[in-house]
Amino acid sequence: MKRREFIKKAGLATAATAGFPYILPSGIISAQTTAPLTDHVVFVLFAGGVRQQEAVLKRYLADSQDEDVEGNIMYNMLTGDSPESKIAYGLDDAANNIVGGIPIDPLLQTPLDQQGTLFPEVRFSKGGAGHYNGLSTGISGSYALAQGLRSRPAAPTIFEYLRRHAGFDATDCWYVGADIGMSRPLLNYSDDPAYGRKYGANFLAPLTTFGTPGMNHFMDFKNYHPETEWTMIQEMRHFLNSNYVEEGLEIPHLYNRSEEQDFIKEFVRSTFEKVELGQVSLPPVNDNRDLKTLGFALEVLSWFKPKITVIDLTNIDVCHASYTNYLKSLHRADHGVGFLWREIQRIPGMADNTTMIVMPEHGRDQDPNPIQDINDWYAYDHSVGNENTRRIFTLMVGPGAEAGLQVGSPDQPVGDATDVVPTIAELFGIKQIVESQGRLDGSSRSLFDRM
Amino acid sequence: MRIFYKSIGICLLIFLIATGCKEDVYVYEVNDVEISPINSTKNKPKTESQYISVLYTNLFQEAIGPNRMLEALAAIQSIGDKRVAFDILVSKYMADGRVVLPTEEEMRANPEAFVRDTYRRFLIRQPTEAELQWMLNYIESRPNLTPELVYFSFATSNEHFHY
Repeated sequence: MKRREFIKKAGLATAATAGFPYILPSGIISAQTTAPLTDHVVFVLFAGGVRQQEAVLKRYLADSQDEDVEGNIMYNMLTGDSPESKIAYGLDDAANNIVGGIPIDPLLQTPLDQQGTLFPEVRFSKGGAGHYNGLSTGISGSYALAQGLRSRPAAPTIFEYLRRHAGFDATDCWYVGADIGMSRPLLNYSDDPAYGRKYGANFLAPLTTFGTPGMNHFMDFKNYHPETEWTMIQEMRHFLNSNYVEEGLEIPHLYNRSEEQDFIKEFVRSTFEKVELGQVSLPPVNDNRDLKTLGFALEVLSWFKPKITVIDLTNIDVCHASYTNYLKSLHRADHGVGFLWREIQRIPGMADNTTMIVMPEHGRDQDPNPIQDINDWYAYDHSVGNENTRRIFTLMVGPGAEAGLQVGSPDQPVGDATDVVPTIAELFGIKQIVESQGRLDGSSRSLFDRM
Repeated sequence: MRIFYKSIGICLLIFLIATGCKEDVYVYEVNDVEISPINSTKNKPKTESQYISVLYTNLFQEAIGPNRMLEALAAIQSIGDKRVAFDILVSKYMADGRVVLPTEEEMRANPEAFVRDTYRRFLIRQPTEAELQWMLNYIESRPNLTPELVYFSFATSNEHFHY
């Protein structure tokens, strides 16, 4: 489909739905709701601060190490030939003693930019390029200009919008974090008094839950008989809680219904069994934490089939100290995203009706720091105020995204880091409601409105 | 003059009759007092590390070590819904043979002492008479109830999470 034809059809569809309120699957009807474009959204925050130069610009060493070697090391996501020399991003070539000398085989026959829509030059337009700011901005559509760590987003997250306005259940919404650092456990709901915990998402940091901490404090937890023992526990707990009447003073739960709580516990038990048996669905190459996180995220998708899942990856941030490891992590993050997309198409109920959005939480500096690695290549930070940190991309694939469409260019940036929230809202039919709440940043627009 | 004194005398007599035998009126009142539940002063949530520390001490009758505490804290933080996380944590601890629990025989032999001790142990207070009666009735009417299930309920109650 040509771009003009796509826009025409999209415009007609919008016009057709604008005047007619749509009853969302949750039963919610509003003059501001429209027909959902997809059933599931997976949003990958990719993956710890990425330089445009090594990502969509495919410059490999050319714009960073003063070496005349270009090429694409993200060939599951982007179209383009890989570098022909100085290969250092793959698996270690032990026979020839070359670190990263064997590129990982592509998993997708067709790169995601050909399957979906790429906004190659997007702006992280406000605030400092910190991880928390980036993650918070991505999920709230509002820049965290005045917030530090250890605080929740000030503006509602996409989870809260969807739970409140589209009627999603708690287990419809998941944030799968790379770990529990950088205040990630606080990103599942905001401090906004009109939203907050009542509309929060379930959070999981699987490498902690199923790593040493969880193995010592969760694994093999006792299974109480649901109809006898557990019923008595609930009856007594209900009595105790009804005698403790202070409003709002409760164990901070997420309003998972009783059966949802049981479902989560069974997921934890089942996943521990898979860990013990080595049956977690990990990517073919899984030699870093991001790839393992993606494997567990896939377990979450397979078990709950959530409507909205946010996954954040972080390994690329090794770029602070090692450019070679940065290249390896970038290549692996691409491998992980390719794996995730391939496997989603194998999940009954999610195949062909899941839209995936991939966006770095921020970029990295134009100029290196003084740290050199084993290849004598310089490392890169992400400094406040460096314009290169504001350069990111957004890739959208699946229902709602036109295949092969590219919007914008390095000379003509299109899109903002705050766009994903209204885009997801539009995918689920509640864009107008979300926009009318007045919490989104002024620069935020649905990507569909930017096409 | 005589009539004058007579009139004065009558007036004085009337005055004394009117005022001399008046009974004092007393009104007994107390100031309004707002009655609050016994646990109403517990309005501050424990931190997750405080909760884990108190929980561990209540169940194992010993303090949790610093490394174990950090691990437990990380595990709790890795799951968003704390009710679910605490349920799993307590279930895990209950599977540990080192948990110090009364026997079922002890509970049934003196249920009132058991209930009072459980309230003291977890909620740092005595039960009200209504709470005591409810718990006694519950124990009596549930032959399959064990001290473990009672402890689980108290350990994961909202009041136990506050101080």
